[in-house]
This record gives sequence, C-alpha cells and structure tokens, in this order.
Amino acid sequence: MNYLDWAATTPPDSAIALQALHASFDHFANPSSQHRAGKAARDTLEGSRASFLDSLALASGVKSLGGDLAFTASGTEADQIPLLSLLKLAKKNESGTGAIRTSATEKPHLVISAIEHAAIDAQAETLSRLGFAVTFVKPDADGIVRPSKIGEALRSTTRLVAVMAVNNETGAIQDIDAIGRSAASAASSLGVRTPLFHVDCVQALGKVPLRLSGGLVTSAAFSAHKIQGPKGVGALWHSKAIDPLAVGGGQESGIRSGTENLFGIHAFALCAAKAAASLDERLLRARALERLLLDGIHAIPGACAVPPSRVADDPRWSPWIVSAAFPGLGGEVLARALSDADIAVSTGSACSQAHKTKGRRVLDAMGLPEELSFSSIRLSFGPDTADADVEAFLSTAADLYRRLKT
Amino acid sequence: METLFLIKPGEILLKKENQKEFTRRLIQQLHKRMGDVGCKIEEFPGRFFLSVDERYAERAEFVLSRCPGLNGYSKAYVCPKTVESILEAAGLVAAKALAAGKKVFKVETRRSDKSFPLGSYAMSAKAGEAILDTFPALSVDVHEPDFVVNIEIRERAYVYGHTEPGPRGLPSGTSGKGLLLLSGGIDSPVAGYMMAKRGAPLECVYFHAYPYTSVEAQRKVEHLALRIAAWCGSIRLWVVPFTDVQIQIKKLANEDATTIMLRSAMMEAADSIAFKIGADALITGESLGQVASQTMENMAITEAPANHPVFRPLIGIDKEDTVNMAKKIGTFDISILPYEDCCVLFSPKHPLLKPSFKDLTAVYRELGLSPLIEESVRKAERFVYKYRDVLEDFGVS
Repeated sequence: MNYLDWAATTPPDSAIALQALHASFDHFANPSSQHRAGKAARDTLEGSRASFLDSLALASGVKSLGGDLAFTASGTEADQIPLLSLLKLAKKNESGTGAIRTSATEKPHLVISAIEHAAIDAQAETLSRLGFAVTFVKPDADGIVRPSKIGEALRSTTRLVAVMAVNNETGAIQDIDAIGRSAASAASSLGVRTPLFHVDCVQALGKVPLRLSGGLVTSAAFSAHKIQGPKGVGALWHSKAIDPLAVGGGQESGIRSGTENLFGIHAFALCAAKAAASLDERLLRARALERLLLDGIHAIPGACAVPPSRVADDPRWSPWIVSAAFPGLGGEVLARALSDADIAVSTGSACSQAHKTKGRRVLDAMGLPEELSFSSIRLSFGPDTADADVEAFLSTAADLYRRLKT
Repeated sequence: METLFLIKPGEILLKKENQKEFTRRLIQQLHKRMGDVGCKIEEFPGRFFLSVDERYAERAEFVLSRCPGLNGYSKAYVCPKTVESILEAAGLVAAKALAAGKKVFKVETRRSDKSFPLGSYAMSAKAGEAILDTFPALSVDVHEPDFVVNIEIRERAYVYGHTEPGPRGLPSGTSGKGLLLLSGGIDSPVAGYMMAKRGAPLECVYFHAYPYTSVEAQRKVEHLALRIAAWCGSIRLWVVPFTDVQIQIKKLANEDATTIMLRSAMMEAADSIAFKIGADALITGESLGQVASQTMENMAITEAPANHPVFRPLIGIDKEDTVNMAKKIGTFDISILPYEDCCVLFSPKHPLLKPSFKDLTAVYRELGLSPLIEESVRKAERFVYKYRDVLEDFGVS
C-alpha cells in the first residue's frame, strides 16, 4: 500500500512501541500506588512528562516552555477538557463567586475558527446548546484565518478563543502569534481580561515549528498517533489552571482522571522526542515532497491545488498536507479508484447529497467553488514517504483522471 | 408440542377451474418457506391448517405474514374434545384479545363431530359465560364484536381468536417471471414487492458503475434483494458492470439527454437479461412525475429499446404511500443508507422534460451502445438468495 494518508493516522514506530511495551511490563503498577512498584511507575510517567515538555520546548524553539502537561486518551479529549471546563466557569459566574462577573442576560461567548476539527467544532455546538454564544470566524479564500477577524469577533463576554495550528484538510498554518495578539489587544480595548486561547496542535507537533512560547496560548492539544505513536493517547499542555468538568480519581493533577496509560504515554514521549529532534531535517524533506507533488498536480491538465493559489515552499502551508481538486471527478470516486490501485488518500468531499454539507465544512468555509470542493482529495505524508510514492500517485491519478473524468 | 395455524386464502377462492393449481402453488410455497422442519398442511374447503412443532411457531408466523396468496391466519389452540379443555383454550384466546385492548366479543362454534355432548349453541353459550366470569372487563355483543372466539370440534377441538392479516394477492409462481430493475432507492424494492404479491417470481438487475458507485452501494442493493425475497420466496440478482456504458454516454451524448440515454441503455441491458433468463416482463419503480426523468414522454423513450412489456406498479402511487409500504416491508431503512446508486455527476443540471420521442430514440440508436451493453451483460455477476437466507437476515429461527 502506497500510504499517503498520514494526517488520518500514521504507521506506528515499532521500535518505540516495543520499548514502551517493555517499560509498561516493567512498571505495570499503578502510578498512584504508594508502594515501591507504584513509585517506580510514577517515576517512569514523570520522566515521560518531562521529556514531552522538553520536546514541546524544542519544537517551539525555546529552552524551556513552562506550563503543565496532562496526558489524555486522545487529541479530541485534550480539546474537550478546556472547552468543557467553561461550563463550570460559567456556573461560578452565575452564582457570583467567580472572578469574572456577567449579568444573567449576557451569555458567555466563544470565538472559534470555522475550520476547526470536529473535536472543537462539535464541542462548540454543544456549548451553544448549553447557553453559550459562539462566533465562528471564517478563513480567507486561502484557508487562513485573518488574525484581525479574531479580534473583531471578540466581545466583553468572550471566555475562550480556539484556532488550530495546522488545518487537517488543507495544511494551512494559522498565524497563532498574531491571532493571540489580536485577541489580547481587542480584549484590552474592551477593558476586559484576555480570554483563554486554545490551540489544537494535533497536525503541528513534529511537523512544523510550534508557537506556544509567546505567552498568548493558554492551552494546546496533541495526539500520539499522528506522529507514529499508538492510538488512544493525547496530551494537553496548559499555562493556566483548568477546572475540568469530568472528574474522578484526580490523576494528571486532576485534569484528566483515570489510571494513566503508561505504555501509550511512554511511546508518545519517545515519538515526540524523535520528531522534535529531527524537525528541521524532516521539514526539508517534506518541502521537497510538497514541491514534487504540487508541480505534478499542476502538470495534470485540469487539476489544481486547494486552494488554487497554493505554491510549494510557502511557509503558510504545512508541507505534510496537500489538498488537490480534480474537477469533473468526485473526490470520493477518485479516492476509491486510487484505493484499488493500492494508493491510500483521504477525501472530505462526498458524492452523495447526504454527505454534502458535512464532508465539506472546511472547504465551504473557505468559499471554495463547489466544483473544486466536490472533487478534492487530501494527500498527506510522513518521514517514510519516498519520492517514488508521490510519483506513483501522480501517474496513477493522472491516468484515472483522464479515464474517469466526466 | 404442536402449534396449529388456521390459514384463510383470499383471491384463490375466486378462481374456478384454476383454483386447484393456485392452491397447489400456495401449499408448495408454504412448504418451501417453512423448509425442513416437518410442517404439515391440511386442506379443507375454504381454509388450510398448518401444524408445526412449536419451536418453529415464530418461523410459521413469519412465513404466513409474508406469503402472497393468503388473506390471514390465526394461531389456533388444539385440545382434546372435552368441554374443560375447550373452555381453557377459549380463556387463553380471550386473555390475549383483552391484552390487545379488545373489549367486546362473541363465541362461534362449529361442530362437525356430532358425538360431542354439547351442541354448537350450547358450547358457545358455555364458553361465553366462562370468559365473562374470568374477565369481567369483557362483554358480549353478537352483532358487533371486537373479536370472535372460534371453536371448531372435529377430529380434535380447535380454538382460535384474532386473525392476523396476510399479504393477500396470489401465490408466487402463478404469474409470469418479472425482472426488476433494482436501484438502491426507496421505490424499486416496493415495486418488486407489489409484483411479488401478484404471484410473479422475481429476478433483479442492478447497474453497478464502479468506481462512481461504491462497493457499499452494491452491498445495499444485495440486502434489498434479500428483503424482497421475503415476499417472493427466493430471488436472483444480476449485477451488471455499467461503468463503460456510462462513460460512453457521457462522452457522446448531450448533457441534457444523458439521463434519458442512460435509462434507455439500462432498459436495453435488462431486456437482454430478460431473454437470457426467460423473464416475461421488466419491472421498474417509476412513478409518474416523481422526478424529471419520470414523465410520460421520458418513459416512452426509455422503454423503447425493450421488447418485453415494462410494468410500473408505482406509476400512480404517491411517494408517501410508497414510503409507508417500504417501511412495512423492511426496505426503507436500507434504502435511505447514504450510498448513491448513481453518481450525481451523471445527472444533468437541466434534464429534458418533454423530449421528442422521434428525435431521442434516434439519438439513442446513433450512440450505438449495443456492443458495449452486450459485453456488460456478459460480464454480469449473479447472486442467488434462498428463503433460508431471508430467515437468517430477519433473525428468524
């Protein structure tokens, strides 16, 4: 299988997985137990945490990042925790004991980008049903959210801003620093406290430099299986205290209760370290693949990148993710035909009416013409992807497009 | 223990010389569907009795409620010919009716065994009294009862109450064979069901346009065919690879006419299969005016390539009624699964509403699709579904 769907999930690093498995056998005890075996497991866990924080610092280009880290069961959960904690905050405010007071008629407010992963988007929908006001900020036609639009969306009641670091469909890198500054300055003109700023970094970790060090981001979510770690592990970094909605035994400093998945966490920390250490070198390689792919797509008559303005080496895009449109051929159809040719790609678009609105939320938010969004597929690479893989895709896709285009 | 069902045939009874043949078909179908469970069917004037080990009572009810040719059936209690056991059985029938919300009843007794000590009237009166004693909530009205407790005293005593409705219609195999053009939609399975009820054995044809349509879409159609087999007893499905034909149409035809050309090509292919399998008619789920391609003018053109008659049992049926039927026969939930049977890319933005028969049939002939269509028919894959597959699908033991 020519696997070009790394943004969906990645092939596990088996050496790391085995190493982590043995660590989890050696330290099977509950890290919360008071006996010696428990303490040894706790030491392993804390070692992973320290190592992961080091990796985040390294990927952010700083010596030390500060903040706290809680391991979670997924990237989605790491997104949910800060968002759902707002429910408790809103309750406190209602009873008048919280730091921020709002009148009963003023709904607490969220600003999120219209291109967030469902982990954020669906959560915001839920919060809106539970009494929150939500503003969805659309990106420009290139899929990039203009930072000033975040500031403009801010209200005195805004509790949280969420914008992802790298979009999972287009690879568009959002200007997190500028967005944070825009929110902070808007809050200061409104004379209110700067809202929380959560950044979904699931497609950023180990792929592009992180932007967590500027003091603007208050929480960030990560997922292990996007960087060759196991599924079922995520992490939530945060620089401000979080009072989570879901509680239990108080593990992970109370942020995420439940006995820790030592195997998954250990593997995640090792994968993060490996990816952070080789980030520059990997990026260079990815840029070369991106160029090869984008040049190849532009050479196929009728096909184009999504957004069409995207060119190789543009720092505004993660080179690991490329969306392309083949007008006249449904993305789903092309993906199916490629799958038969043993090439794995993803599609957000769908042939059927039933999927129409759901599958193209991100591309629709960009205002992409239907002809393009309907016919787009997503390709994503990893460090193991070879030039030959991209070339094989290009020749197969060109051939299929010629044959199946209608 | 044995469970007995009283079966009431319907339209068969209207037949004169053919009644015997129709009856034979019905009994044959019942045996075929009940399978190897040792069920016994006895024929009496105007009714049948089906007896089967009680382990298979659920299967019998499944079969009886879906076997065309019967109007209704009742589960009967068989008991020794003593007054006490008959009263006990009558009490069971009344309890069931009461639980179903019935309030007013009467008792009817038929006594063919004249050695039984009580006369028909006396037996009815005694049973009525006993039921009233046990269930004070019930009352008697011999003119307009909610339910009837029937007692028949013959070689044994039979007691039965409420009659469950059967599908009516004619037994499978009494009409010619139909080839159903089955899509993944709501209508065509219902069209198949309606023809199955008229006694037509069915085969189905599905046009698969991989990769434009997914494997999941084909699985869905296979499942629908299986659901239709619950009515006609067994079914065969022909999956015709139609991608090349579609591409050719897209290449050669005007965009506005692609739908008409595609449907004409499907008719031609179905017609060819009908010859191959000895089918007597084609069946579609078309309903007048439902979509742009189902106007009279369009249908006249699309059926032109077919030599067999094209039956459209839904032609005058409202969508809502079709949906209700689809729900009743268990195809609706499958039909609405979100896999397209025909890619939207093949639907023109402005399909022709009042095309000219002369022009369009000529355009179709000029496309010269016949060799491609014949090749696709040759490559068709056949799926066979037996009644035991139906039982398994519905989880009936």
